[in-house]
Amino acid sequence: MNERRNGSETDERPLDHLAPGERGRIARIDAEPGITRRLMELGLVPGTEIEMVRTAPLGDPLEVTVRGLHLSLRRSEAGLIHVAPR
Amino acid sequence: MSRPAEPAAGGARLALEPHRPGPARGRAAASRRIAILGNPNAGKSTLFNALTGLRQKVGNYPGVTVEKKTGTCELPSGARAELIDLPGSYSLHPASPDERIVRDVLLGLQSDTPPPDLVVFVVDATNLDRHLNLALQVIELGRPLVLAVNMMDSAREQGLEIDFPALERHFGVPVIGISAAKGDGLGHLRRLMDREIEPSARHFRQRPAHLQRVLDRLEARLPRHERMPERARHDFALALLLDDGEDDALARAVAPDVLDDAHTLARRLDQTSPGWRSDDVEGRFEAIREVLAAAVVAPGERRDRRRDSIDRVLTHRIFGPVLFVLLMGAVFQSVFAWALPIMDLIDAAIGAFGHALEAVLPPGPLRSLVVDGVVSGVGTTLTFVPQIAILFFFLSVLEDTGYMARAAFIMDRIMGRVGLSGRAFIPLLSSFACAIPGIMATRTIDNRRDRITTIVIAPFMSCSARLPVYALLIGAFIPNVWVGFITLPGIVLCSMYFLGIAAAVVVAALLKRTVLRGGRPLYVMELPPYRMPSWRSILVTVRDRSWLFVKNAGTVILAITIVLWFLASYPRGGADVKALETQHAAALAAGDAPAANLLERRIAGLSLEQSFAGRVGKFLEPAIAPLGFDWRIGVGLVTSFAAREVMVSTLATVFNLGNADDEVVPLRQSLRDAIDPATGQKAYTPLVAVSLMVFFVLACQCMSTVAVVRRETNSWRWPIFMLVMMNALAWLASFAVFQGGRALGLGS
Repeated sequence: MNERRNGSETDERPLDHLAPGERGRIARIDAEPGITRRLMELGLVPGTEIEMVRTAPLGDPLEVTVRGLHLSLRRSEAGLIHVAPR
Repeated sequence: MSRPAEPAAGGARLALEPHRPGPARGRAAASRRIAILGNPNAGKSTLFNALTGLRQKVGNYPGVTVEKKTGTCELPSGARAELIDLPGSYSLHPASPDERIVRDVLLGLQSDTPPPDLVVFVVDATNLDRHLNLALQVIELGRPLVLAVNMMDSAREQGLEIDFPALERHFGVPVIGISAAKGDGLGHLRRLMDREIEPSARHFRQRPAHLQRVLDRLEARLPRHERMPERARHDFALALLLDDGEDDALARAVAPDVLDDAHTLARRLDQTSPGWRSDDVEGRFEAIREVLAAAVVAPGERRDRRRDSIDRVLTHRIFGPVLFVLLMGAVFQSVFAWALPIMDLIDAAIGAFGHALEAVLPPGPLRSLVVDGVVSGVGTTLTFVPQIAILFFFLSVLEDTGYMARAAFIMDRIMGRVGLSGRAFIPLLSSFACAIPGIMATRTIDNRRDRITTIVIAPFMSCSARLPVYALLIGAFIPNVWVGFITLPGIVLCSMYFLGIAAAVVVAALLKRTVLRGGRPLYVMELPPYRMPSWRSILVTVRDRSWLFVKNAGTVILAITIVLWFLASYPRGGADVKALETQHAAALAAGDAPAANLLERRIAGLSLEQSFAGRVGKFLEPAIAPLGFDWRIGVGLVTSFAAREVMVSTLATVFNLGNADDEVVPLRQSLRDAIDPATGQKAYTPLVAVSLMVFFVLACQCMSTVAVVRRETNSWRWPIFMLVMMNALAWLASFAVFQGGRALGLGS
């Protein structure tokens, strides 16, 4: 889990702030515990690389990909996932 | 060995023993139960289809609307295995009804489905780390398991190298490579399915000491479940600890005080060690990473270029929505265009069958019951089938190709406004054709509250059965004048559709803020890879859906049709009807066909007026008079419960127009000319017509819908709620329209 500490706190950004095509590593998830667990079960554990693929035509939700899994995620939830640069 | 003491244990051998009861039954009872399990899109269903061929059937788990797919498969020893295709899951700690079923079957809590003798766990070779998360959870349960690493063909193409013996050593279970779509490795898999497999003794859990202590404490208090392996008790305890208080299966499995204790312990852990809920997941992914680092040589980055380019078009900012609208338009056009002739054909066939029966059976109550009750009830049920079959054909194609998830992705923002997810859009859109397939299509909505909300608002979408009623009333009362570039009838018709949508939005918002309020669900959805659909499995879906409808809803529809037949036929007409019948007989004898025809219509009209339905109509008059309706409309409201369009033929009968199909034009005239006997004024005005249309938009009149809601929600609570809420809303809205209109001087 060393990757987690590579970037300083200020380098971390909420996932929904990434531009399409941009990547990063999941630093932490600030959601309530049940939701955090679910996201982790889907493979979004801290340290994992994640890519913001695109936004839906109306701007929300987002498509992200992690461990080969493409997920649709609403901005409100993506904002709880903090991403550090690779 | 911790094999559960099931009668079928070691079934492959039992089947060969000489003394078994009846041949077929004995073999079925002794066959091995094998579950196919894996993440969504691991190729589970492809493997299931390859192993079972067409020997499969689809049913439901009791109490929920999760599909239960089972089939049989011949093993190399000649024994038969009973295969069950468990729903695709991401975790043993469920977030949807599908995942709950998987957990309950594996823990032995699912009473109708005994735990499997063997689990064949399917993982995608190209996404091993993610798929192994659930695999490891299941291995830890202590059930015999074979790990089938699927899609080896693509893995090889990508240059992925997997050290199978190393994986076997780490996981303690047989691991084989297969390619279900090509049939590679299935012989090896079948041989393993025939063998006794020892459950793995490996542990992959790394739980902090404090969590371990809590789990041990809880575990000690758990009741013994004979079907639950000793090691699974630990996972059962964790399930209780993670329970959100809405899991009925857990609540049933333990005493209330144990569950309460679990909740208290969980709250305490939330305070003392935040993060405890997901620590084990992090630990497991770490363990997987270590194993894969030693056993798999991955070629590095890869991208699915085909997927990228398809997605770039289908979810494009402009082309995406345009293609979506065009595609939906094409689907619904086809449903209308293809279903209508088949429905007409069914109608004609049922009609001809009824006439044939009339010719054979002697006149009397029995003939009337059979022809007007039973045959027409069966007919009503069958006329829904073409729409259901065609819609589900398209929906399955869209689902299986992967497009449905993109449609939900595009529509999520709009549906989010009313508190629903993008998945709710297509069921609601389908409801404009007919609420019944629409409601059946809500099964793709994971979240229970969202699903119920969608079901409750679906009947507000103006279905095709309301169209004849709108057409009759608009044709009779709304003057055909141009208002700008559109005609007044067009505006009125459009307003009716929008009124339904508006009512749906308001009711959805209210429901989500009151009875269906709850923890904010996580709207996360997999966007699966694009695939060619398997036509065979699509046809199986269409067949099973249609059959489920006929079997479950059909019986209720039949019963209500018979009740309505009774209400409309009894009691038989009084002295005045008898007098008309005598005249009718005389006219026939004299060969005066026009007079006989006229008398026949008057007999039908008078009999209906004097029947229970007519009496209910009159009884209802005080209640519906404030809406501008008289008893004749009341009778129509009663009979329209069979199907809304029946309103039209009932009014035709009431106005002595007979039952001919070309009654609409004279019926319009009769409605315009109808006189209110009390006042001598016109009984119906344009205002009454609008009030009646508003009533039809909002009222829950369709018993078939009620039957399907009963079936899909598995309780009478929601259908009864819908009946009361929608009809109260319809009454209030019509009241407001009629009384408001009169106050504004629009009553004449």
